[in-house]
Amino acid sequence: MLNFKELPAVKKQLMKCVRCGKCRSVCPVFEEIKNETVAPRGHVFMVQMLRDGQVAPSRQVGEHLSNCLLCETCTVNCPSGIDIHELNAAARSYVYDKNKNAAKDLLFDKFWTNPSLIAAGVKCMSFAQKLGLQTLFRNIGLTKLLPGDLSKAEKILTSAPSRSARSRLAPVNAAKKDKKLRIGYFLGCATNVLYPDVALATVKVLVNNGCEVIIPENLKCYGLPHIANGKIGAARELMIHNIKEFQKYDPDYIITDCASCSSALESKNLEFLFAGSPYEESARQLSEKVMDLCVLLIEVLNIKIPEGSRASEKEPSPKITYHDPCHLVNAQGVSKAPRELLQRIPGAEYREMDLAQRCCGGSGTFSLTHYDLSMKILDRKMKSAQKTGADIIATNCPSCIMQLKHGVRLHNLSAQVKHPVEIISDFY
Amino acid sequence: MEISAIKSELIKILGKDKVLTDDLDLMYYSYDSSFLTKLHPKAPYAVVMPRSTGEVQKVTRFAYENNIKIVPRGAGTGETGGCIALEGGIVFDLSSWNDIDEIDAANMQVIVRPGVIHAELNKELNKKNLFFPPDPGSSLMCTIGGMVANNASGLRAVKYGCTEQYILGLEIVLPNGEIIKTGGQKTKCIKNVSGLNLNKLMVGSEGVLGIITQIRLRCWPKPKARGIAMAVFDDLDQAPAAVLDVYQSGILPSGIEILDSSAISAVNQYKPEINLPRAEAILLFEVDGNPPSVDYEGSLIKEIAGKRAVSVEWATDPQRMNELWEGRSVTATAAARVRADGTRVFAGEDIAVPLDKVADTLRQIRALAAKYDILVVNYGHIGDGNVHTAPVINPEVPEEVEKVQQLVHEIHLLAIELQGSTTGEHGVGAVRRQYAELEHGPAVKYMQGVKSVFDDKGLMNPGKLF
Ligand SMILES: Cc1cc2nc3c(=O)[nH]c(=O)nc-3n(C[C@H](O)[C@H](O)[C@H](O)COP(=O)(O)OP(=O)(O)OC[C@H]3O[C@@H](n4cnc5c(N)ncnc54)[C@H](O)[C@@H]3O)c2cc1C
Ligand code: SF4
Ligand code: SF4
Repeated sequence: MLNFKELPAVKKQLMKCVRCGKCRSVCPVFEEIKNETVAPRGHVFMVQMLRDGQVAPSRQVGEHLSNCLLCETCTVNCPSGIDIHELNAAARSYVYDKNKNAAKDLLFDKFWTNPSLIAAGVKCMSFAQKLGLQTLFRNIGLTKLLPGDLSKAEKILTSAPSRSARSRLAPVNAAKKDKKLRIGYFLGCATNVLYPDVALATVKVLVNNGCEVIIPENLKCYGLPHIANGKIGAARELMIHNIKEFQKYDPDYIITDCASCSSALESKNLEFLFAGSPYEESARQLSEKVMDLCVLLIEVLNIKIPEGSRASEKEPSPKITYHDPCHLVNAQGVSKAPRELLQRIPGAEYREMDLAQRCCGGSGTFSLTHYDLSMKILDRKMKSAQKTGADIIATNCPSCIMQLKHGVRLHNLSAQVKHPVEIISDFY
Repeated sequence: MEISAIKSELIKILGKDKVLTDDLDLMYYSYDSSFLTKLHPKAPYAVVMPRSTGEVQKVTRFAYENNIKIVPRGAGTGETGGCIALEGGIVFDLSSWNDIDEIDAANMQVIVRPGVIHAELNKELNKKNLFFPPDPGSSLMCTIGGMVANNASGLRAVKYGCTEQYILGLEIVLPNGEIIKTGGQKTKCIKNVSGLNLNKLMVGSEGVLGIITQIRLRCWPKPKARGIAMAVFDDLDQAPAAVLDVYQSGILPSGIEILDSSAISAVNQYKPEINLPRAEAILLFEVDGNPPSVDYEGSLIKEIAGKRAVSVEWATDPQRMNELWEGRSVTATAAARVRADGTRVFAGEDIAVPLDKVADTLRQIRALAAKYDILVVNYGHIGDGNVHTAPVINPEVPEEVEKVQQLVHEIHLLAIELQGSTTGEHGVGAVRRQYAELEHGPAVKYMQGVKSVFDDKGLMNPGKLF
């Protein structure tokens, strides 16, 4: 296991910070609190202090570092090329490792990953946040153990539908008309449990566009909870299992409709998990096939949405706006395809919102642990969305969907929050 | 007074939400963008975040009565340690006090509080077809208060000058708690020679005379058109010569920027889509004004610079112009990209020399860098002789730190020798005060005398300027 101080980001990148402050200008948390203790460059500084032993890895340091959404906005804007969010996550994890005793922290053990897996872990962490909070809230009564904000924050959670997507979908879904592609569908846990309609829509739209869609039955979680619990070996085993599952079917592409899933499956993370192992090559091949659903629909399939065959005619010509999930726009640089897709919807009017790329403040457990702050960030998002007059706020990440739905309720808006594919599936 | 007592008094004065007293919180106020504070961070006793002149006054009075040093701070993007409490004391973080009090379009002025961010101000002014012309590379993050205190300028100083030209009036809380207004108590006029010009004294005073709490700024009508000519050179010497040629032709561009080969590579690594050509140097000439004159000046620059350049690209497409301008703006930080195990340091980065000595200066800087075996990225506001040298080193290797300090010392001395200045716009702060005597001779005594009039107890941002 790599020691915190030996992590490549910590070793190589810390000194690259020029302290220019450019990251102050883009950070959604800084925008609200406006003092240096929450500035991204402040986090970089604190990580350096930790590494150099100038501060002890106390829980207080952990709390400071946790004033961050891991939204990666600072990272993509840092002219020096520093993975600021990764440094932050690495340091939190290190601090956490040294302070495992409190009951509250023990729960967060589920979310905080082992330092040696930070590159994978950052993505996983946010995902674990989403996955973990659902499971934990319902199964082990997290609310009772956590103070303050959390009783308010509970309202963010919508109850999960009784039937998961997996129980409603066949493992192999034949293409309607001529088959063009064989698609492996990496059905993420949050979509599966919380938003099964998104999964159903995904399959419907793909099969109607000449895709055979395979949802490997034995597909397991990509190892996240295991990574989060330090069982890296087990996590690798699971991923190897998944690789083998997909290999059985040899899909042309592996798609996900969840921004966090695709970002966790991207090459950088898989490389990290498998570097030097016999599975390195298979993992690389897998990651090369991974693609966000919207990108596939636009860049590969170049779909034309059939006019006039709309199943429901409730909103005759909807006005649609789009919110960029951080894990899609910042982590993967995907912003054009979802917009293009929405603009192709017959009769719909696309309206860009101001600062569509600004984080919605959800970021999994952040909205629970920092409820008031998260709501301030959400307020800005809801105002931008409202200003467009849109009937539908589209976004493609379960965590964002959850947060935006909460925003709609809080602000008494009439807009609906939907995954783009849900809107499109109405036309098939 | 004990530090713990100072902390509790401050909380009594301003309330808990506007004061940071926790040791961990205070550490975040131990640095700005300077190399000095990267090497030697220094935390204050406490940080206050006042949101009104009255609040600033209360804390200032308390500090005065108890002989506690005070240091104003904007966004901490200064490169001189200027906003750091190097001798202990209370830091005033003014960056959250960001109200635009009034945009008086009819009178071509705006009244702001010190924490307003430069780019944000221009965004608001733009709605009224106005702008505040000084354009620092740190536009997205630096505060107007910090700009006034440092007399900042930047990419458009060639035509539009520095912050000082735009200051109509200031409200200042003096170290003893007294509040004064410079530029007239009530006036809203834009032309005014009444009284000693305290505006000019306060601009660039780097927080050693008082705390600026309100700023009345002159705005200009926003030019209707803009274009950028990018001239590409295979010989570094030809670039400064082309600048002089353009001036000779009677054109005053709104900006003339240089990037040397390392700077070009840094920008391309940060944003590959900008795709600057590989070359020994690039000059960016920005012209603005009304559309026919912009076209005319653009074509003339193309012709004149073309005589020395290998190629000249004339861009009026807004996206391309923004790319080029942004590329230049971020060079300061992107310079860190040219060495995988290195970063750029803000040290010796801001000399200004006479225009006819720019070529010589660049040549000598390269020779010095070779002597110390340090990679440097050169860029800057060549149109007014302001050369930014970014040494790129591994700051965790003590020998490199030692060598870079010698290098920057020599660069500062070179500037003075070439009839230049150690700083064109970033200021003196703590890092260049050692050159005050050499640059100003006996005048320094009078500068100190002026300071003591405002700051009789020597509490205001000590250890800076001279
Ligand atoms: C990437 C980068 C690019 C830059 N490019 C340029 C450039 O092109 N041109 C240029 O001129 N500078 C440039 N700078 C330097 C810097 O941004 C400017 O000097 C800026 O004006 C500092 O503003 P600040 O708000 O960060 O001030 P700070 O760094 O916080 O403070 C600077 C000084 O001002 C004093 N001060 C701050 N606020 C007040 C106040 N309200 N009252 C009294 N004193 C006060 C402080 O005590 C300190 O001495 C650049 C910096 C960076 C990091
Ligand atoms: S933008 Fe990058 S280099 Fe600049 S202060 Fe932030 S982390 Fe440091
Ligand atoms: S990851 Fe997002 S919230 Fe965290 S410091 Fe960077 S910009 Fe701020």
